[in-house]
Amino acid sequence: MTEIKSSDIPVLPWPAVPIPTPDEVYKGLSEAARNYPNWLEENVHFRDVGKKPEKLSRLRVLDVTQKSMSGHWCTSLFGEHGAEVIMVEPPGGDPTRKLTPFNRKQLMFKDNVVGEAIGSKFLHECRNKSSITLNLETAEGRELLKKLVVDSDVLVENYPPGQFDAWGIGYRQLSQLNPRLVYCWVGQRGQWGPLKDRPWMYDPVAQSACGFTHGTGAPAAFGGRPTRSGMWVCDYVGGTTAAMGIMAALNYRDRISGRGQFVEATGAAGIMRIIDYNWGWQGMDGSIRPRFGNWDLAINIYAVNPCKDGQIMVGGGHDRLWYRIWKTVGKDRPELEQHIVEDPALKVVVDRLPFYAQVETYTTFADWFKDNSRLEAELKLQAEEVASGGVTFADEVAEFPHFKYRGHVNVIDDVLYGKILHSPPSQLAQKAPPRLKWIGRPTGYDNEEVYRRIFGFKKDDIDGLKRRGVI
Amino acid sequence: MAEAHQSFEEYCRTVFDAKKIFEKPEAFKGYVAISTTQYILGPSCANYFAELGAETIKIELPRRGEPMRHTTPYNEPFLYPLSKQMPDKGTGLGFFGANHNEYFLSVDFHKPEGVEIVHRIQAKADIQAENYRPGTFDRWGIGYRQASKINPRLIYIWMGGFGGWGPGRVRASYDILGQAQGGTFSITGFPGPGQGHPAVGLPSKHTIWLADYWGGMMGCFAGLAALWWRDNVSGTGEFIEYSQVHGATRIIEGTLPLYGRYGVIRQRWGNWDTELCVHGIVQAGKSSYPGSNIPLEMEPGQILISAPEDSDYAKLCKLVPNLAPLAGKYARYEDRIQPAAQTEIYTALEAWAKDKTKEEVWKLMEDNNINSQPVWSNKEASKQEHFHLRDELHWLDDPTFGDVLSQGLPYHLSETPARHRWVFKPVGADNEYILQKYCGYGLDQIRELEKNDII
Repeated sequence: MTEIKSSDIPVLPWPAVPIPTPDEVYKGLSEAARNYPNWLEENVHFRDVGKKPEKLSRLRVLDVTQKSMSGHWCTSLFGEHGAEVIMVEPPGGDPTRKLTPFNRKQLMFKDNVVGEAIGSKFLHECRNKSSITLNLETAEGRELLKKLVVDSDVLVENYPPGQFDAWGIGYRQLSQLNPRLVYCWVGQRGQWGPLKDRPWMYDPVAQSACGFTHGTGAPAAFGGRPTRSGMWVCDYVGGTTAAMGIMAALNYRDRISGRGQFVEATGAAGIMRIIDYNWGWQGMDGSIRPRFGNWDLAINIYAVNPCKDGQIMVGGGHDRLWYRIWKTVGKDRPELEQHIVEDPALKVVVDRLPFYAQVETYTTFADWFKDNSRLEAELKLQAEEVASGGVTFADEVAEFPHFKYRGHVNVIDDVLYGKILHSPPSQLAQKAPPRLKWIGRPTGYDNEEVYRRIFGFKKDDIDGLKRRGVI
Repeated sequence: MAEAHQSFEEYCRTVFDAKKIFEKPEAFKGYVAISTTQYILGPSCANYFAELGAETIKIELPRRGEPMRHTTPYNEPFLYPLSKQMPDKGTGLGFFGANHNEYFLSVDFHKPEGVEIVHRIQAKADIQAENYRPGTFDRWGIGYRQASKINPRLIYIWMGGFGGWGPGRVRASYDILGQAQGGTFSITGFPGPGQGHPAVGLPSKHTIWLADYWGGMMGCFAGLAALWWRDNVSGTGEFIEYSQVHGATRIIEGTLPLYGRYGVIRQRWGNWDTELCVHGIVQAGKSSYPGSNIPLEMEPGQILISAPEDSDYAKLCKLVPNLAPLAGKYARYEDRIQPAAQTEIYTALEAWAKDKTKEEVWKLMEDNNINSQPVWSNKEASKQEHFHLRDELHWLDDPTFGDVLSQGLPYHLSETPARHRWVFKPVGADNEYILQKYCGYGLDQIRELEKNDII
């Protein structure tokens, strides 16, 4: 197949619609009612992050992962919180850099110095990191890694189980060189046990193994089948648990023991930890969690509903919202409201959960939605303060006024990559907030700087390493 | 002791041995966490500290407790009793995954005596997770602004839907609203009609309460970093605000850069992958349970086949006769990854797997060194020795509820592993212990508080 040419669709500037001003946002509120939001805004707004310290600025993290996002996501969290994160990539770079949807090279991002094209997925998690290259398949490369580890706090790797150990750079060996090192392996199912990872297993392995995919999607009766996440969700969850484990180990090291430890996290275990009540339910009566489409087994109303022009989420898991929802419906269709609120079988919250009750609820609800667009439904429901919101796509996410106002979606004018729309760190903080400093670096961009600063190498040394294929 | 002569696998089994967990120290022994939370987002955040050894006090309203106790699939399974006052009611399984190891105190925050109790505990706490509507605790006099005066070292994590400021601050939120509004729905599920994919579907939710549970992890990480900063650098507490709607936007990968630079609005691609091929879920036509009358077991099986490199693909083509005609045509990644090619390849794979069970396909792939993984239901996953061995899933002898099958630990630490002691307890089960230890109240005062419906 030949390469598809870029379309000529003009790309809107961001924001296409101006960001609301504080006066517009807090219009009509009394002084007292403004007090708390104003205090929050003064204390956690992202515009002030540059004036504040960073929590983890004394830590150095080595990201020696490739071909997956779990390690990169994990170290992104450290980078956002201020740690110095050095990506140690094979010469030529992590292959994930080259991934772009359907290999469409015209959708990649080039820096203005080297001109290397990288895909959007990698770019988004390259934030605040520097990149060096190091060929771990050479003995010289592994010796250099050891030297780097001596003065590092954290190392994250995701090579096939036992690979680093066989190379003499596993936890057993590196902890001898630096007993303070927190060493973390991230993967899909694990580096030990009967289902241990095989070389270069990727995210959907974990998604399929942990029961997640089996329970996601529409029921068979509706033509559905088990559905995987559109994201590499196990990489993100597994990466987050890895970061939690590492952070706990650092706390223990610096407060109590002075020693690091060996951390292992996997995508499968991460999702299994958070897969709701599946295990408890199954342990009680053998139930297999069924697929339930965009409804919820344990809350009614709590679903994404089809409407005239899209889909909208509505949630009302308790009486107060339940009656507000039907009041909203009743304004247009009193007979539907009556049908539901007068049904004795639906009077008590928990009585609404059985399957037949959910079918009755949502078919009645859908009768109202078929005459409403997403916007109409959303405005009507929010007038009654019902939790609701459309299923939004990238363009709507980017233009969502709340996100724009709070900086949840933002543009950085990166020194290397130019203007990049992105999602900044999601935890806001008062005294030492996480932040985005730069969006990314081309492969090995920091070789010169890092090898000089940390190893004391001179130009000749670095040239020699390049010549010998070590970096 | 782990020895250098052990094989790597033996070494890992030694240092991560689940049977030795209780012989090792806890990372946060002696730390105190408060969980003034409901539903999943806030509770799970506090729960992750409880797993690591912090003494975590969950404060709920008396008698009925928090709403999640009344949430359970189909209204069927419950664990009894709900509380001392309501022994004939039970706690729903919705409460299950987010309250392990905690101590349960019931307090009516609305009354001055209740506020006093909260203040006394806040004075001794290291971490507090809270997810009431923004400003509610501030109004009640137990929010960060008041608590930080009592205890400047307190790390206060507020979590919720949209955050306490900005145009959406008054909007209520739930997990799937985060998923919907943050954009994860729009990229999950089968694509709309006319998008080059043979199966058609709607935007789909992640079936688990992802934005809640994973959001709790994001809050927990920020809290752990704040503890490190407090104990090693600044000596001071911190206020953290986490919006789950924003969190969901944070994990939609490169969707935003793509839109911002090229105007591309990312869509759904079902069970295949837009960036790797072969790397998708294939239907194996035969059910693995021919004698079963359970609908989910009568369905055809599904299995992930992952052979994305050119060499893997060549190997796969030798193994699967239906793919042989496509071996040369799609030998190169850049050809194989195109939408039309993926349709052809996966259609051929499904035709081949039509008369096989997922286990048969799995065995063949395993024997030939091709990565694959059957799509397991929770029942199938729970039978895997692997997860039990690693304590990622375990039968727990719970002091209140007896034997329960419970999720285990999300990560492994060789020196200070996390651990699970109990799944949860009834509302107010630890009132005496907590009020004695943290508030200095005697039994007479406790009975008085009980009588006046304060606890």
